[in-house]
Amino acid sequence: MAAVHSSQTLAGPADAGPARNIRNRRIAMHLGIFVTIILAWEFGSRAGWLDPLFYPRPSNIMSSFWLIYFENGNVWYHIGVTMSLVFAGFFGGSVLGIVLGSLVGLNGVLRQFLKPYVIVLEATPRIAVAPLVIAAFGFGSGSKIAIIVLVCFFAPFINTLSGVMNVNVEKLELFKSMGASKWQILQKLVLPDAIPVIMAGERLALTAALSGALVAEFIQRDQGIGSLILIYTRNLNMASAFACIFTLTLLGFLIFRGMEIIDRTIAFWKHEQGRSRMTAKRRKAMEGSL
Amino acid sequence: MTRTDNFLMVALRVAPHLVLFFVLIGLWEFSVHIGLITSIMVPQPSAIGAAIIRLYVTEGTIYSHFFITLTEAVVGFGIGASVAVSLAVASSLSEVFKRYVIPYAIVLNVTPGIALTPVIIAWFGYGMGSKMALAAILCFFPIFVNTLTGLVQIDEDREELFKSMGARPSQIFAKLRVPAALPLMFAGLKIGLTTALIGAVVAEFAQATAGVGVLMSRFSFQLDMASSIATLLSMTVIGLMLFYTMEFLDDRIVFWRRESRRAAASRARARTWINQAKK
Repeated sequence: MAAVHSSQTLAGPADAGPARNIRNRRIAMHLGIFVTIILAWEFGSRAGWLDPLFYPRPSNIMSSFWLIYFENGNVWYHIGVTMSLVFAGFFGGSVLGIVLGSLVGLNGVLRQFLKPYVIVLEATPRIAVAPLVIAAFGFGSGSKIAIIVLVCFFAPFINTLSGVMNVNVEKLELFKSMGASKWQILQKLVLPDAIPVIMAGERLALTAALSGALVAEFIQRDQGIGSLILIYTRNLNMASAFACIFTLTLLGFLIFRGMEIIDRTIAFWKHEQGRSRMTAKRRKAMEGSL
Repeated sequence: MTRTDNFLMVALRVAPHLVLFFVLIGLWEFSVHIGLITSIMVPQPSAIGAAIIRLYVTEGTIYSHFFITLTEAVVGFGIGASVAVSLAVASSLSEVFKRYVIPYAIVLNVTPGIALTPVIIAWFGYGMGSKMALAAILCFFPIFVNTLTGLVQIDEDREELFKSMGARPSQIFAKLRVPAALPLMFAGLKIGLTTALIGAVVAEFAQATAGVGVLMSRFSFQLDMASSIATLLSMTVIGLMLFYTMEFLDDRIVFWRRESRRAAASRARARTWINQAKK
């Protein structure tokens, strides 16, 4: 909090020069610490303090990166497999979660009867159904997607449920007194109000989807980046395993960024910039129609 | 209200739930019987019941596995939570420390922790150590972030008051910032406990000799779905136990957030003061 605050005031136009100096120095410090850790690791390993068989050297990890991305180029295929599973399962799970969540949120009777089951489901580690699903649906992409759907269904469901239930009573009163139909209330008041909460659920779901895909691949061991990590580790090729894990870090980072951008586009009124952009756009459209 | 009235009220509230539950179970049982659902994929409720009785009562095989998984999750959670809380406290005290720790915490968060499973097993072996390690890694981030957020949000007016009354920085930390952070910290601990259990179970799926996860994947691959679901239910029991323990602690430690607990706590304090005054 405090850090954000100070950097905002420092970045003001009055003292842009010193602010840039401080920022550059900080970046240099970050890099310095990072390089020191990496070098300590590398030399610790070369001096024999860390067993390179289990704790691969940074230089070896770098050469593994080169190997799996360019020389063999085998990682691309597995990334593609895993990510298509993740997106298919995430899409299914979040649609299911949002639809069921709004149904249950809007229907008091349904909610009352479903509550105990939701509590039980919440306490169960949902990834644990993975072996069951594989036994039921067999090996292959189908059961993997089913696992991901199951794993990432819950967060959107709960968040949609609570978002739909927390309707602003005064706004609802206004809508009703203006004679809005039920569908209009849902479409113009309840869902827009719930969207920030739903998006938070979607973000959790996407992370869960990636974890679900990895667990499914660990169990099936056929293709995908999870299987790749497992096979490399079994062969004690730890450098390549770490290259795959850092690939996942990168993918996770991209996914987070992507979700942030989508969040800004959909729930534009929550961010100053998006709001002004949208008003400008609408104004232009209205001028055009006039 | 008399006791029987209370009992009747509870019974009336619970009855529809029970009726619905038994109707659903009956329908399920019936549709498996007439062949609408294949019993290999989805076993009958009666078969699951029989499996539960076999696992818990007649054979009692589940208990050793149950306690192994529970121990793994709890110890892993303990390690992860203590590291997370101490790093969060250090980061809240020192701006510089925070600045250099946070990038690594974010990298750890962005990496799906489950991806580390095979590596952790190679490092810590097939025993309980690797499960605890994965549980600790998985539960670290939510606890760290929640505790840190709680500690750095400062109510300026209250801090002003503390300062004007001549409180030392250590007093401000212990009496103002820590109590203000506790509710968020407990929210993080609850999430962390669930993820710790997930870590323990997933590590057991990958490679282990004992534990509920091993039992479950063994049953699934034998296509003994009834026992597999019975084992899954034992994970639910572990999850519920852990969650309600945390809820109880939350209720006692952050007592001021709930009306009835607050009243009880102030009565207890009043009593000790009166006793002291009498002496």
